[in-house]
Amino acid sequence: MCEWTTRSGDVSAMSLQARTHSSSDYGVPDNPEAGAQPRKEVRLYGAAALVSLAGLADSIYLTAEHISGRSVKCTIVSGCSEVLSSHYATVRGIPLAVIGVAAYFSAFSLATLAAFDYKLAGTLLTIVVGVMFLTTLWLLYLQAFVIGHFCQFCLLSAIVTTILTVLVAIVRKAFSG
Amino acid sequence: MKRTLPFLIILAVLGVALGAGWYLMRPGNDSPRPENTSSAVNSAVVSSSPGSKVSNSANSGAQPPHAIGPENAPVTLEEFGDFECPPCGLLHPVLKTVEKEFGPRLRVIFREFPLVPAHPHALVAARSAEAAGLQGKFWEMHDLLFKNQKTWHEEFDARPTFEGYATQLGLDLERFRRDASSQVVEQRIFLDGKRAHALGVKGTPTVFLNQREVPFESLAPEKLRVLINAELTRSEK
Repeated sequence: MCEWTTRSGDVSAMSLQARTHSSSDYGVPDNPEAGAQPRKEVRLYGAAALVSLAGLADSIYLTAEHISGRSVKCTIVSGCSEVLSSHYATVRGIPLAVIGVAAYFSAFSLATLAAFDYKLAGTLLTIVVGVMFLTTLWLLYLQAFVIGHFCQFCLLSAIVTTILTVLVAIVRKAFSG
Repeated sequence: MKRTLPFLIILAVLGVALGAGWYLMRPGNDSPRPENTSSAVNSAVVSSSPGSKVSNSANSGAQPPHAIGPENAPVTLEEFGDFECPPCGLLHPVLKTVEKEFGPRLRVIFREFPLVPAHPHALVAARSAEAAGLQGKFWEMHDLLFKNQKTWHEEFDARPTFEGYATQLGLDLERFRRDASSQVVEQRIFLDGKRAHALGVKGTPTVFLNQREVPFESLAPEKLRVLINAELTRSEK
């Protein structure tokens, strides 16, 4: 009776491994059961996923207010209307808040996958968070120097993106390669 | 199981996110408004256009709109304007002329669309016009702002000038100042802006005739007259 599984040390299994790439090359964990990923890396990606959830909640709230046409009220600073009704609140007709939802959801998904040792997800997360951080810097510049008002929900998003950037930078520096 | 677990987590979050979005967008989920705010809105209803319907639908702009002419007029001209924009200032006398010419056959609506970064006084001007509207003098303030646009446009701080117009119009100055920075006024401007974005307005003045956008080059008096007449003919059919 032939068996599909091979024993450790089996010559045919070794030759098969020699001929094929590691599955992690394609972003799939090599051996999810093995627990080879350092615990600190998992924790950092987990933290990034949780922080992304805060940004996701913020963006969902702003999207809902934008679509339903309600005025967003600032309780800490006083420039929500000025910022959110400015030309910069939409990109080609798409509300920035909607783009924020997509960005934070992507960041959350990639961080979650990276925490489960999907290598490609970690690389993609670095790219996504890098773009988000640059966008955040641009939006902060617009609020400070062009619109002249700050929106607390946009500032919250800026804080979340900055924390995400720091977490991803730490994890990449410590565990890449 | 460990392979599918992250996807299950992602799907669960997606589900919660969609649910939260749906919950927040429900029409009944309006955040509560302070008593004085809603009464101020009601006074705006009375002062700007008595008897008009108050609509809560999204992207319908501030309600009631600032309008001249009967609600059942066959042609409605809706302008998205910025008090500091020079072409809006040039359009102002043109609209005054067609208003007189077409009388009750034309309803003119003004929507706030202050181009904040480009025009530093635009938002204060819009707030001033809306604050005047709360005392029933929106159109008077609207006319003063456009007529004197070149004067206040040059000023470092235009607020004292606008307060001067308020005094000139016999408004309660203290109330005018209070209203200009109130939530009611802010919300009206915000809602007009939302409508502008929904209609794809990119600049000012943008004019719609019976909900059809009029090209900027057709805003000359003779061309506008032709378009209004065409709309009148269409409405008679």
